[in-house]
Amino acid sequence: MSVLASNCPSCGGPVEFKSGSTIVLVCQYCRSALARTDRGITDLGKVAEIAESESPLRLGLSGTYLGQRFELTGRARLQHQLGGYWDEWYATFSNGWVGWLAEAQGRFYMTFFKPLPEGSVLPSFGEIAPGQILENLSAGVPLVVQEKGIATAVAADGEIPYRLVPNEQSPYADLAGKDGVFATIDYGASPPWMFLGKQVTLADIGMADARPAEREARRIEAAALSCPNCGGPLELIAPDKAERVTCPNCDSLLDINQGNLIYFKALTPLPNPPGFVLSVASEGTIEGVKFKICGAMVRSVKIDGETYYWHEYLLYNPSIGYRWLIHSDNHWSFAEPVNPADVTDGGFYGSGATVLYGGRKYKIFQDAVAKVRYVTGEFYWRVEQGERVRAVDFISPPEMLSMEQTSDEINWSIGRYIPVKEIEKAFGVTDLPKPWGIAPNQPFTGSFYYTWGALPLLLLIVLAIFMLPFTGITNTVLSQDIVLPPMASQSQPQTAFSQPFDLKANRNVQITASAPVSNSWADLDIDLINEQSQEIESVNIPIEYYYGSDSDGQWTEGSRSSDAPLSALPGGKYTLRVEGTWQDWQKPMPVSVKVVQNVNRGVNFLCAFLALAIVPFFGLIRKFSFESARWKDSMFSTAATSDSDD
Amino acid sequence: MFKALYMFFAAAVLLAYASAAWFGWEIANSGSRSRLGIPFIYTGFRGGK
Repeated sequence: MSVLASNCPSCGGPVEFKSGSTIVLVCQYCRSALARTDRGITDLGKVAEIAESESPLRLGLSGTYLGQRFELTGRARLQHQLGGYWDEWYATFSNGWVGWLAEAQGRFYMTFFKPLPEGSVLPSFGEIAPGQILENLSAGVPLVVQEKGIATAVAADGEIPYRLVPNEQSPYADLAGKDGVFATIDYGASPPWMFLGKQVTLADIGMADARPAEREARRIEAAALSCPNCGGPLELIAPDKAERVTCPNCDSLLDINQGNLIYFKALTPLPNPPGFVLSVASEGTIEGVKFKICGAMVRSVKIDGETYYWHEYLLYNPSIGYRWLIHSDNHWSFAEPVNPADVTDGGFYGSGATVLYGGRKYKIFQDAVAKVRYVTGEFYWRVEQGERVRAVDFISPPEMLSMEQTSDEINWSIGRYIPVKEIEKAFGVTDLPKPWGIAPNQPFTGSFYYTWGALPLLLLIVLAIFMLPFTGITNTVLSQDIVLPPMASQSQPQTAFSQPFDLKANRNVQITASAPVSNSWADLDIDLINEQSQEIESVNIPIEYYYGSDSDGQWTEGSRSSDAPLSALPGGKYTLRVEGTWQDWQKPMPVSVKVVQNVNRGVNFLCAFLALAIVPFFGLIRKFSFESARWKDSMFSTAATSDSDD
Repeated sequence: MFKALYMFFAAAVLLAYASAAWFGWEIANSGSRSRLGIPFIYTGFRGGK
């Protein structure tokens, strides 16, 4: 179609269809949606003016995508059936492409119409379901159905490349694929149209400078409102995104419709105060981004008849949108959305189930229905007390991957554990309550003691091997038979000397003595005499050997040989003096003595090993106890293993 | 802090083990009547007569 200049059939004002692909133009004078047809221009009805927005985008803004320049020439505002809004910007490319830049919750998606591949059949709107995987729609990239719903065109501006009829409803399904691939199926057309593209940043499309610099003044102006129920003042933090807000003065739940507040219902009070420890509108910096708390809610799950409560704070930053701060048992996690297509799961959420995300494996921890019990502040969807979702949590400390599913939508988010002190620092508060118990995604901080802490044990083994030549190559320096003559009396020991022998320095010494005792004993005091210094090292070697038989059979006790190890002595020539007493003192006592050096006894190694093993051992005990405490709160505790770590 | 103390302790144990291996020190043997004037760990202790 060619460029067409004409007059608005409603108000007579001049209108011009600048782009050849434009089907509908919104008259800037009377807000009529004007469609051009073969027979001229048709008035489709009035469309609302798009309310003030914090979007960094505006009509006429230029950008670049895939090397092609484009201009934003139109904008449609669509409303989700649950109340949320999103904008779709019509991007007219210089090479004739027609693109759509969707903007929702601070995220941007550039998509283009894509004819379905040959032979592909889309499931009908009734058949398509969140979580369903559609193959072959995007070259090699499976697409996961993220959401299905019904969109209503509530406002528009500029030029639109399709027949936008004000307040017309059209079913749609959003799909996501790996690496930011995004697709929308528009079931309003027959057969359905598919738009395929990617999630982009403003920098990706050459609009990095498109910042909402002028929005502050507008926002503050737009945010000053009064409660329609009590008349009390009300301030909105994200007026262009908020869908529902509570009145702090009368505890009413209010709808926000294009900047106007409408009374919805009174909040049902909780039996106990909600106990929010952070207040709405307070600001904090998390992971380098400044957020404002715009809402808070109490949620609960019921497991085995017991109800567990926790708090969630909705954080808002104009540039990146919404995030969550989860406060449970005084533990904190910071959560952000993830692309469902980046999560690999087998669709099985029973005991032992795992999912993969970002190269990490997450184990299932909980699968329950979460219920909203109380809300305060503002929310980007029409939140309601009693709202239920299926919530499935998977953990890989310090992260928790959570899936929330309704019949129309599936969302994944990842939460990272944040210590209380960091939350205190982030929000400039003190004395937040101390956590109790172990959080599902709380990292174990004592792994050092059985990882790096076990390194000395490894070093000890290496050292022992290295030191083997110094400790374990045994060398006999004396082996001699000595006969002690009969004792003069029972109390007068006999003495004999060995031949001289050499001892080397820095090598341990072991003296072994053997005597042919039989149901008797001999007691030997053996002195090692240094011939040069005459210094003496004494050891006592008792020998006793008994045997016999009783009702249990043969028995023996003791040994005819015994030894005594010594630490190293100064090197030099030595003699053994053997002084003995024995039971059969009237008879001579033949004694065999042996002196060896470098005896590998292992006592030193064992003592060092035990000393170094104590801390790693207790570290492992602590870890086991920590993991037991973590998993005892899980409904899948049999799936617990202890390989999660910080 | 405790990590540093533990690593210091571990280093001391390793040093003691290496020294004992190098110098031929034994922990458990006799020597209550030693006249060599050397420390307990050097002479050891095996028990009384």
